[in-house]
Amino acid sequence: MGRPRRILDREVVFFGGKGGVGKTTLAATMALEAAREGHRTLLVSTDPAHSTSDVLETRLGGEAREVRPRLWALEIDPGKEADRYIEDVKARIADATPPRLMAEVERQIDIARVTPGAEESALFDRFTRIAEEAGKTYDRLIFDTAPLGHTLRLLALPELMSAWIGGLISRRRKVNVLGRMWRNVAGAAAGSEDPEEDPVLRALTERQTRFRRARTLITDPHRAGFVFVVTPEHLPVAETERSVRMLDKYGIPVAAILLNQVVPEDAGGTLLEARRDRQRQYSARVRASFSRYPVHTIPLFEGRLHGLAALERLAEALPASERAT
Amino acid sequence: MPGSESRMASEGRATPVPAAEPPREETRIRRALRRLRRGLRAAGEIYEGIYFAPYRSQIYRSYREERDTFLLLGFADLLGAPNPVAFYALELYPDLIEEFHQWHMRIGMPRAPDGGFRCC
Repeated sequence: MGRPRRILDREVVFFGGKGGVGKTTLAATMALEAAREGHRTLLVSTDPAHSTSDVLETRLGGEAREVRPRLWALEIDPGKEADRYIEDVKARIADATPPRLMAEVERQIDIARVTPGAEESALFDRFTRIAEEAGKTYDRLIFDTAPLGHTLRLLALPELMSAWIGGLISRRRKVNVLGRMWRNVAGAAAGSEDPEEDPVLRALTERQTRFRRARTLITDPHRAGFVFVVTPEHLPVAETERSVRMLDKYGIPVAAILLNQVVPEDAGGTLLEARRDRQRQYSARVRASFSRYPVHTIPLFEGRLHGLAALERLAEALPASERAT
Repeated sequence: MPGSESRMASEGRATPVPAAEPPREETRIRRALRRLRRGLRAAGEIYEGIYFAPYRSQIYRSYREERDTFLLLGFADLLGAPNPVAFYALELYPDLIEEFHQWHMRIGMPRAPDGGFRCC
């Protein structure tokens, strides 16, 4: 069986691209098409700029909201995700810490909250939880990802972290084996508690399982794919070429390239004609660089594309093969 | 009301009847068996104690070392070494606070090291 030809045939689709190329608008358009095709669809924005709310002309938050029949949307705020995680740890520590030490312990945890990588870790944690919903609560998950460098690191994380967590798990198992041996030989001296299940090992295993599943999902070309949105200009094309190479390295499949904001042939005016001439060489470069993937051309529209009516217009510009059937 | 009272009364009368002479004999045997079992277990523990005594400290030392290694790997960032999962290790802390305390006491620090979690 070959790869699915259509973007919408995949359960999980990521939209990526340099800032300003129109990926948020196209991700929303694609999500609308998925819902129209009858799939329960969730559109997720991980972009701190939160432009999905603007495009859909509605206020989105951290929890999924139905914005259209069969279409839900949410915006992940990495800061809020990190806060939520920290609050959870604090609540659990409260049970284990003497009250006089509570203030000091909380201070230490607040320091961890502001260390580099904290928000990224919290964002990734939420991502893996949402990914678990693929094929369960939702038929389609569409992610509008933050500017590229950030996103690619995020997708590379499962491998790195699985290895580290795997190391911790095997050490923890050894601790538990020796603990059992010690309790066997020491009897009363070891204390009465014989933990049925080690909470540390349980937490580590749960995390490893979830990360592994996320990685399996995003590297499965039948279930997931990355859609790059690129405009025929120097910097977006160069950056997308780099990004596709990186995805190849991490084993994340590319579903399609959307060549956006292409000046139509019949557009008049000297300014547009000059821009069209400039775009031609980059359009050709996109087709050459990404010949392995389907490349779809989306025309330049006049004015801003905001609101559901505008997205309908944009959907009509999609190639027939990618539209809802 | 009167109906339920009479039922309770009849139940109260019914229960003591089967507990007559033979069960008392059985209880005595059971008690003896239980005592014997307890005695055997105690003897077994004494034997095990003698047998395992030389290994006890050795096993305890490896157990301790293994726990320390785990703390070091999970919270390497507290000692200034990079730890890619530092943020996720935080959630393990509530369950490890006691082990962490034992560790710094053992390595001769009466108080928890600066910059790390303070358990005391």
